Amino acid sequence: MEPKPTTLKAITAEEFYTAHGRQLGLKLEAGQAGLNRKIHEATINRPGLALAGFFRYFAWARVQVLGNAEKTYLKSLSSPERRGRIRDFFQRRVPCVVFSRNIQPTREFLEEADAYRVPVFRSPLVTGRLINSATLMLDLDFAPKMTEHGTMVDILGIGVLIKGESGVGKSECALALLERGYSLVSDDVTRMYVLDGRELMASSPEETRYLMEVRGLGLIDVGRVFGVGAIRTEKRVDLVVTLRDAGKMEDVERVGMEQEFQEILGIAVPHVQIPVSPGRDLARLVEVAALDQKLKTMGHNTAKEFNDRLIARMRNEARG
Amino acid sequence: MKSSPIGGDEHPRPLIREVVVINKQGIHARPAALFVKTATKFRADIGIEKEGEVVNGKSIIGLLMLAAGEGTKLTLTAQGQDAEKALAELSKLFEDKFSED
Repeated sequence: MEPKPTTLKAITAEEFYTAHGRQLGLKLEAGQAGLNRKIHEATINRPGLALAGFFRYFAWARVQVLGNAEKTYLKSLSSPERRGRIRDFFQRRVPCVVFSRNIQPTREFLEEADAYRVPVFRSPLVTGRLINSATLMLDLDFAPKMTEHGTMVDILGIGVLIKGESGVGKSECALALLERGYSLVSDDVTRMYVLDGRELMASSPEETRYLMEVRGLGLIDVGRVFGVGAIRTEKRVDLVVTLRDAGKMEDVERVGMEQEFQEILGIAVPHVQIPVSPGRDLARLVEVAALDQKLKTMGHNTAKEFNDRLIARMRNEARG
Repeated sequence: MKSSPIGGDEHPRPLIREVVVINKQGIHARPAALFVKTATKFRADIGIEKEGEVVNGKSIIGLLMLAAGEGTKLTLTAQGQDAEKALAELSKLFEDKFSED
């Protein structure tokens, strides 16, 4: 079965609180009844203009972050005007509110939050830091995700996803790479997600983290057998290597001039296919493929550079 | 007299055909890969000669080393049961300019 990508459409304020409350130091101050409200966008909003009465372009579906500026502005309003604005604000179905710098919301604000059932939190982080952290976390929550059948390794900083049919030797290949001192991200089942809309990241499911299944040996705890240096939690995918039975491969790349890509979650990742046959040292081949990929990202394409030189030389000889 | 260890008894002598490189860029990586891919389909031993230098027709590096530009005359040799078919297909690659230009 082909793996399917999933993308969240929304998360509830409660999910946000549960998942990130500790890291953001969130404390729930009011509006508990509204924890099922939905956050629809993976970013935050500072509602300064809204609190000033301008609601025409109000990004209501986001987490609303209030800092010193908003606090000071609200304080400057007359009491009835302030209550009116706060009500206008809560009426817009905002999912939740976070005060930065441990600002204590006024009683009036908390009363309205309870009345409109909008959760209000407090965070000790300064506004800028809170916004950055919360945006990153939300971006991850909303990132497209999928599970790939493949083994992920880190070879000298190059993240390589090794794919191929069951039994083709993915795990054995990874094992040999571990013996060479490289590290494992995940074996067989790899979780993928897109970071920041442009980087494909891979990690392992928590349940099977750092475990490897090797035919004939069973489960191996990589962290214990090879040491903590041999494991890492996540890694950007720089290269996809597909191991294929040599007998089933019709077109084997011989020069490597054309870069093949494989699209995962909308990101095009360089792809090479390696024919598997007895006696081929797969780990070494994958290692060299990773190093060659590193050269390419540094701007050196061996095959292309050689070919350009060759064509120039043949042209000169034809003239001379 | 012993027969040659390669090619078997049926075609003890290699078949020979002259070709000319007519595609503009010469035998660079892509044509070389196409040639080798075609040559490896056959069991016959394939050789290419340029000005006295002979390389294995199933070796990309060998072909590239020849640096055979436009207008170069090459001699193809094939030895083995399917030598004739191999030469026909391989020389057609040259005639078709390796699907270039």
